[in-house]
Amino acid sequence: MSPRRTPSGGRIDRLRTIRFTFDGTAYAGHQGDTLASALLSNGVSLFGRSFKYHRPRGVLTAGIDEPNALVTVLRGDVREPNIPATMVEIYEGLVAVSQNRFPSLAYDVSAINQLGGKFISAGFYYKTFMGPVIGPLKGTRFWMLCEKIIRRAAGLGRAGNVPDPSRYERMNAFCDVLVVGSGPAGLSAAREAATSGARVILAELDPTFGGSANWSGETIDGEPAIAWASDIVGELRDHDNVRLLKRTTVWGYYDGNTLAAIERVGDHKATPAKGAPRHRHWTIRAKNVVLASGAFERPLVFAGNDRPGVMMASAAMRYANQYGVLPGDKIVVFANNDSAYSAAATLNKAGATIVAIADLRQDVSEDCRTLARECGAELLTGHAVIATEGAKKLAGVKLAAFSIAAGVLPGNARKIEADCLIVSGGWSPTIHLASQAGARPVWDDDLQAFLPPESGNGWYGAGGFNGTFSTADAILEGFAAGRKAAGQPEVEIGTAPDIEPAALDPRPAPVFEIKANGKAFVDYQHDVTADDVRLAHLEGFVSVEHLKRYTTLGMATDQGKGSNVPGLAIMAEAVGKPIPEVGTTRFRPPYAPVSVGSLAAERFGDLKPDRLTPMHDWHLENGATMYSAGLWHRPMIYGEPGETVEQAYVREAQTTRQAAGIVDVSTLGKIAVQGPDAAEFLDRVYTNLFSTLPVGKARYGLMLREDGLVFDDGTTWRLGDNDFLMTTTTANAGKVMQHLEYFLDVVWPELRVHLTSVTDQWAGAAIGGPRAREILAACVTGTKVDNEALPFMGIVHGEIAGAPVLICRLSFSGEMAFEVYSGSGHGTHVWEALIEAGEPFGMVPYGLEALSTMRIEKGHVTGAEIDGRTSARDLHLGWMLSKKKPFIGSAMMDREGLVASGRLELVGLISLDNRPLNGGAHIVAEIDTDNPHGSLGHITAACFSPALGKYIALALVSGGKARHGKRAHVSDPLRNRFGPVEIVSHHFFDPEGKRMHG
Amino acid sequence: MVEQLSPLEPVFRAGSHGNFVDGIGVTLSEIAPGSIVQLAAWPGQEKKLMATINSVTALKLADGAGAGASSDRYAAFGFAPAKFLVTDTSEGLAATFAKEVPSAIGTVTDLSHGRTALRITGAKAEWVLAKLFAIDFSSAAFPLGSGISTTHHDIFTQIQRSGPASFDLYVFRSFARSFWKMLCHAADEVGYEVR
Repeated sequence: MSPRRTPSGGRIDRLRTIRFTFDGTAYAGHQGDTLASALLSNGVSLFGRSFKYHRPRGVLTAGIDEPNALVTVLRGDVREPNIPATMVEIYEGLVAVSQNRFPSLAYDVSAINQLGGKFISAGFYYKTFMGPVIGPLKGTRFWMLCEKIIRRAAGLGRAGNVPDPSRYERMNAFCDVLVVGSGPAGLSAAREAATSGARVILAELDPTFGGSANWSGETIDGEPAIAWASDIVGELRDHDNVRLLKRTTVWGYYDGNTLAAIERVGDHKATPAKGAPRHRHWTIRAKNVVLASGAFERPLVFAGNDRPGVMMASAAMRYANQYGVLPGDKIVVFANNDSAYSAAATLNKAGATIVAIADLRQDVSEDCRTLARECGAELLTGHAVIATEGAKKLAGVKLAAFSIAAGVLPGNARKIEADCLIVSGGWSPTIHLASQAGARPVWDDDLQAFLPPESGNGWYGAGGFNGTFSTADAILEGFAAGRKAAGQPEVEIGTAPDIEPAALDPRPAPVFEIKANGKAFVDYQHDVTADDVRLAHLEGFVSVEHLKRYTTLGMATDQGKGSNVPGLAIMAEAVGKPIPEVGTTRFRPPYAPVSVGSLAAERFGDLKPDRLTPMHDWHLENGATMYSAGLWHRPMIYGEPGETVEQAYVREAQTTRQAAGIVDVSTLGKIAVQGPDAAEFLDRVYTNLFSTLPVGKARYGLMLREDGLVFDDGTTWRLGDNDFLMTTTTANAGKVMQHLEYFLDVVWPELRVHLTSVTDQWAGAAIGGPRAREILAACVTGTKVDNEALPFMGIVHGEIAGAPVLICRLSFSGEMAFEVYSGSGHGTHVWEALIEAGEPFGMVPYGLEALSTMRIEKGHVTGAEIDGRTSARDLHLGWMLSKKKPFIGSAMMDREGLVASGRLELVGLISLDNRPLNGGAHIVAEIDTDNPHGSLGHITAACFSPALGKYIALALVSGGKARHGKRAHVSDPLRNRFGPVEIVSHHFFDPEGKRMHG
Repeated sequence: MVEQLSPLEPVFRAGSHGNFVDGIGVTLSEIAPGSIVQLAAWPGQEKKLMATINSVTALKLADGAGAGASSDRYAAFGFAPAKFLVTDTSEGLAATFAKEVPSAIGTVTDLSHGRTALRITGAKAEWVLAKLFAIDFSSAAFPLGSGISTTHHDIFTQIQRSGPASFDLYVFRSFARSFWKMLCHAADEVGYEVR
């Protein structure tokens, strides 16, 4: 038997022993233990060191509100810091370590910070390190030095830096009623909603349903509360319309009754099930929500209230009843309300000695006096704990007489030996989710707590959340809330269940702090003391929101679960206003820490989907080096052994110009534009006419944005009177689709035109070069491909190797070229047939580098030049601007700025030092390497031109054509490339288009 | 006629995968209909178009957003106002509709190569799909035959409930392999069989 484990009781499985380590020491616990309960059962009292002062800390609570016992859980090299030991379920082989200490938890050198006192009070880093400026020692430099030391000394756990191999998932859920919390109120609500036929989700953050029923020790209608809860959970399991989510924390309440939750699927297992995630993020869309999230017991603020051995009364009761663990042998109780008396009775029944009960109130009910007597405890009414004693564990407490009106009364303090002090400072309903949903909390003088308003838009409260602390009333409220949430008519609520023992009065005396010498902590997690709150007030932080940020009270993972109300109360006293006038901060999501992995979920390692052309596998099998073009994967080169990228693309381009080449153009955006008004629509969106385009022909088109700048270009094929196939650039396909849909939906809804993305319907292969027509002739059946049947921009239907194809004669390479479209499912089949047909003619496949090279040689524009700043005239495409019709952008294309002289215009460049040029390099009149300046423009695309045997580029240069034949320089200081260039026409190769037109 | 090549081929691994210790949660397959056709009506012409669909396929499309129906051969559902996706196990459906749908009623677009059709069947089908889509897949909200347009991870998807525990998913062909891998990944937990 471990030192603090009770001989019987609790909901742990005593037959199953689980071994784990904490800070390298081996311990044993039982199935059902948390790390906190297991360590307590082993007599461990020191769990961690505090954030700033490195004070020894024990375990304060038994749940998600734990501010002290934060640990790091290790799984191999993966470390997860700042996990409350109260929320870690032990499993065989669990490895946990304490945090923020060196060299060990017991002997921490930074504990010297405790001597720092007021030197490191709230906001010390804002003012302590601002100067002085003496000689070279700047104030900021001094701060930078100190910052490193402070950052090393303060903080909590250390994050790991190895990849987390765990799996995370996201899940979407819809329900009529989401019940948050499965205590008596939540279970009652879920049962009522489920019985009415509503789809119900019940979310419980603990591993077992039942909430306080698991540890209250009550009976409900004669049945142990645990059994009562278990029966209801059994009923709920039998309902097809109920989903039960345990280990699930609902942490965010967003608009439209959308709630976020995290399910800890695998944290309690040594090895996760195959395919199962560690965490599952739930997005729950609920028609209505029942908030039955209970309440947190509040600490009292007194000197030494953070010493290991000080624990919330309800937590001590839970350890005894749920885990069979006593937090101490000799226990003192300190309270301002009745609820601690139940805890005292429970602990005494479990075997602890209750030495004394110090109650801040003078008047204590007879029920409480009876409990105190039964415990054998000395009842000290009108008394307060003014200090605690001990080093790393509690050795005793100091008590003094206390008056609510006057505080600690003068007189001799009394020492009592004890190894545990349990505290109750009243209860704060867990209204975080309601607050996130916009509810404005209402101060309740009786409970000395903020309560939610009666109900919100889409949510209903029940139980402790409402400030209802009797189990009987909580069950009735749950019943009512469940009915309302399920849309059921209100009914008269029946008899309240019979609860034993009878509920005590939870209303506390309005006392939050006992002023005495010594550090009295308000926010344990951030080492914020009562003096820090007063200091903030003295320094002018009168807004509660500013107070929070200045002192860090209630920030980070803790979110003020225990500290919010005591902090406000101390602030209110300092300001001289009642608490409700000081107000409260608004709780923000997340209510509790959420793993980033669960938010990323399946997007981890896969930030975007791959988009593959039908011939993708062929490219890989035939040596293509691929690269990403947006989501698409496209061949860059088909390199041969030993070839550089430049050698490969030069060979591919050269071979294409000498014989033939084939390139995968399936990625071009393709939009079916269909309907009786399709031609009219295209006339409006393109700068040139399409209504005059005959069926069976294609035309190059240019689109402007509404502001008159160039938007996109491409060819559009007329396949029928009302049927056009528009192609767009690969990069702009989505944008063009949106642009067109916008105009159809919003501007011209009267046009009968339908748009459909058919990019994926068609596989495209562009085959070009002097032998291209012969190659086609060798494999196409069902149509001729000679100049008569297939003139420039002509379209024919035929077959290749039995697959239907659509062939259009058009060219991007400047060669005699054809685009062959087939159904995507036939793409590889047709491609392979073309490759086979091209073999005797020396045809090669080529990638984007060669494609780009040939387009630069031809001076064709792409997205590099259509960069959102260029006009049609800048690109020498002014001839495409129809004067016969209006079109998108026509009203703005002639505005002053777009026709001004000196605009950047498209030109060609030839490197005069025979060295490569780079995209992005500036063009200048004269080189000034020390002070680069005077940019005339920039290079948009560059390559080695096999046709010219030179390094060439396209550029946008002020003055454009007027500079043809003149020398300039590239100035590229980032890449240290300077050199002379000649500015020439952008049509480097075959400017008359003889090769293309055959 | 040349057979269509599946975009899934290198990643389509027939057999049982994932955690199937407790049985197979879902079966994943590519259904590869012969025809996938999009039909769209002009405003006011929706009923006529639906009548044409019913007449060609012998289905009975009900009114209402997303309403659909299926038979052994055909499946049809509305995926947007006045827009329908119709599939046929045989090829040539687009040509048939092109004859039956005059330009005064609407348009016909052949997507037989442009979309990849996948089927997920089994007790855990709704669970697996809920990982990917913010859609209520319960039979009350998503009845048999009905369809919906949605997206996952930037991939546009049209979904039809093809059985009490069966859904057909239509995705752009170029995304199909990526989507298939995600679907398999999502199904790992419940165990899946690829058929």
